[in-house]
Amino acid sequence: MNVTLGEVINIAIALFVLFNLVTLVAITLVWLERKLLGRLQGRPGPTRVGPFGLLQPIADALKLLAKEDISPGSSQKVLFFVAPLLVFVPSFVIWLTFPVAENLVVRNLGLGLFFFVAFSVLSIVGLVLAGWSSNSKYAILGGFRAAAQLVSYEIPIIMSILVVAMLAGTLDFVEVVEAQEAVPYIAMVPLAFVIFLIAGLAEVGRTPFDIYFAESEVVGGPFVEYSGAHWAIFFLAEYVNTFVVGLLGALLFLGGWMWPFGPDLPTPAAAGLVLVKAYFLTVIIFWVRATYPRMRIDQLMSFGWKWLIPLSFAVFVAAACQLFYKWNPWTLTIISFVIMAVPVVIQIRRQRNPALALAARYAANAIVVQARPKPAVAAAMESESATTDAAPEGAGA
Amino acid sequence: MISGLKGLLTTLRWLGKKPVTAQYPNQHLPVQHRYMGFPALLWDETGDEPFCTGCMVCVRECPTQCMTAIMHDNPNFTEGLSHRRKIIETFEINLNRCILCGICVDVCAFDAIEMSHEHELASFERAGARADLGLLLQQGRRYMKEESWEPASPGRNVAGIVLEARAKTAAAKAAAEVAAESKSGDAPANVKPQEPNLDEKTPLEGSES
Repeated sequence: MNVTLGEVINIAIALFVLFNLVTLVAITLVWLERKLLGRLQGRPGPTRVGPFGLLQPIADALKLLAKEDISPGSSQKVLFFVAPLLVFVPSFVIWLTFPVAENLVVRNLGLGLFFFVAFSVLSIVGLVLAGWSSNSKYAILGGFRAAAQLVSYEIPIIMSILVVAMLAGTLDFVEVVEAQEAVPYIAMVPLAFVIFLIAGLAEVGRTPFDIYFAESEVVGGPFVEYSGAHWAIFFLAEYVNTFVVGLLGALLFLGGWMWPFGPDLPTPAAAGLVLVKAYFLTVIIFWVRATYPRMRIDQLMSFGWKWLIPLSFAVFVAAACQLFYKWNPWTLTIISFVIMAVPVVIQIRRQRNPALALAARYAANAIVVQARPKPAVAAAMESESATTDAAPEGAGA
Repeated sequence: MISGLKGLLTTLRWLGKKPVTAQYPNQHLPVQHRYMGFPALLWDETGDEPFCTGCMVCVRECPTQCMTAIMHDNPNFTEGLSHRRKIIETFEINLNRCILCGICVDVCAFDAIEMSHEHELASFERAGARADLGLLLQQGRRYMKEESWEPASPGRNVAGIVLEARAKTAAAKAAAEVAAESKSGDAPANVKPQEPNLDEKTPLEGSES
């Protein structure tokens, strides 16, 4: 394999630019999230640093970098400091294959979707490693939770991506986007989009799925022992991943740069369109965070395994049937809505009669205690105390 | 699921509303009327002197013993401008000790102390927490103005009203004496002086000793 120096330099420049762009995106997201969370909850959000608090993320970053970088005495030093990189590098590497416009991509891969899935899973290793190498019970618990949560929610997210890949007939991002020139896949398989968004939330650990670093339960999970720059890397990775979910949703389901203006858009406008869609989805994620409290871990697992995974398999099978029997594509929309109606109906039926549901649950869990005759001594003592209680009254009368 | 959507709508609605936050050092929200800040001493406009006579009841009743008071003879009393024989000379509250319980207000018979609205009294050194008579009276004046404060028993404590009432009773007494003398010259004079004392009901007489 012959690689010239020029190519290497080109790649290095591309990576440098990409890294800065990713950081810039994370910084904008930090500001957007804090401001939006504030406004959604009746607060002003950051206002002190710069106009509208615009310099707040920079102040945050400076603060984090200036802090002392502590490692616990009993931690595994090397792994402790490598773990943040293991979380950040996969979330950075997947950007290599994300096209922001048709030509605006570091390297478009024929197996782009596979590449994304393969690398995004890797960050679990980093989280578990961070938890284990900290040598702290909260950190290891958080690491286990991260493993359980991310592995469970990886399945629905992969299934929903697979649905798109099947419909487009390719794993190439650019081709997937180009296949949505007329109709974006959100109209064709809305259920897959919903599953993708919910599982994506869980995958990046946003509220209500922030179980693995839940501050009130495991005081920060795998990140407990981290401080300063290493914690900042986790932080950066989290925001980058959040934006990745938005960007992926924009590319796979909202039609990327093809819909609704067609393929003739100039590159800057196309990139702008994709970014607007991606930021829109990210804002939805922040909106959800501003609204919902955290789920319990059993709720999280049962929601993942009992609802999302069956639903994602259902929509997957529906898409397969549509492709095999060459049905009208819109039948898939109808099927998708029908499948989506199932949990809605079940939920509504449950909610309509909460007392009945509760009674049924109590009946199922009830422990029947047989009434037994009282022991003779206890009965005698009771009758005795009854007479002594009654005596003063009698005397008084 | 439905309630979840409702929750999303609720947060969305807040996006259009103004934030409820007040940026504190720039914007001071008004305190409630019933707000109990640090105690302050009140000012009797009619006598142009504090209500406080330095009777030490609050000092004794204070559970944290945060107060100190010294009284002296009231120069206004000798000039006949006030009914208070004694008046406060120095009064100091250690705000670090004060627990804002309001017992001093409850025990005060002279309407002299009140839980004011003062709560922003941070200082850079410990001595800054010592509120002296001047500061307490200043805070009391501010409180009186803010709340348009009225004494609970003006007939007993407001110098102007008390003096007026005394003058009235004295005049009435004189008139009665004149009338009595004109009617029957040998009326006993030693019974009547007790009556105005009963009308006044000044606890000042008791606390003075």
